Amino acid sequence: MAHIMLTLLIGMVLGVISVASNPSPYFAALGLVLVAGVGCVVLMGHGGSFLSLVLFLIYLGGMLVVFAYCAALAAEPYPEAWGEWSVLGSVLGYLLLVVGAGSWFWGGWYEGMWVPVDELIEFSVVAADSGGVALMYSLGGGLLVVSAWVLLLTLLVVLELTRGLARGALRAV
Amino acid sequence: MTPTHFTISSAFLLGMMGLAFHRTHLLSALLCLEAMMLALFIALSLWSLQLDATGCSTAPMLMLAFSACEASAGLALLVATARTHGTGHMQALNLLQC
Repeated sequence: MAHIMLTLLIGMVLGVISVASNPSPYFAALGLVLVAGVGCVVLMGHGGSFLSLVLFLIYLGGMLVVFAYCAALAAEPYPEAWGEWSVLGSVLGYLLLVVGAGSWFWGGWYEGMWVPVDELIEFSVVAADSGGVALMYSLGGGLLVVSAWVLLLTLLVVLELTRGLARGALRAV
Repeated sequence: MTPTHFTISSAFLLGMMGLAFHRTHLLSALLCLEAMMLALFIALSLWSLQLDATGCSTAPMLMLAFSACEASAGLALLVATARTHGTGHMQALNLLQC
């Protein structure tokens, strides 16, 4: 289990390095899918299966699909993957940074640190994260209404930004 | 710092560095911003899971909602930039250049 968690955490850092080194957006989106997938499994390893599901559905299924469609705006004849020297330099630099920082902490890490304490230490009908999210509808109802309002406002913001042609300062066509 | 904390902290900082040292595309900067939001989501979820504080589980959910708002606003800006300037390259945004 500790080895699995080690592999997952390393996978997450490598995925973020693959996004942060700024290749062509197609490949950066692929790296982000990898980070989200591995992050979901990390959350599941800690017992948060509901939050992991939410991440998969909303983040990967909603937001990243939209990003993938917008990658059509970044079409270029020779997209730069991680084999390109300018991107590879960033990858190696970030790897060096992470390995350097990790080597500073490495001495204090022991085997038990990689694995979380089991979440199911007492018997319960409701899983911990699901029960916590249900709190959003009872005690946190005010913030739920506020966030629904914010989402509606964002829709209007997006429609206004992409309107163009007569109103707004951003669109000349 | 436990290995998990180190991983999510370094994921956030790497995303921030990728956003700061951006190259050509506006979209790749937006993707680095999304990587930062993802690291924050995992951090908030792990906070709630590792401390057995189930009441904190609402924080990552709401953060995901607001991060979706931010991503859509950023993408709307990208679309507006691409339709005004013709490309999504950062060099096209040079009106404030001296």
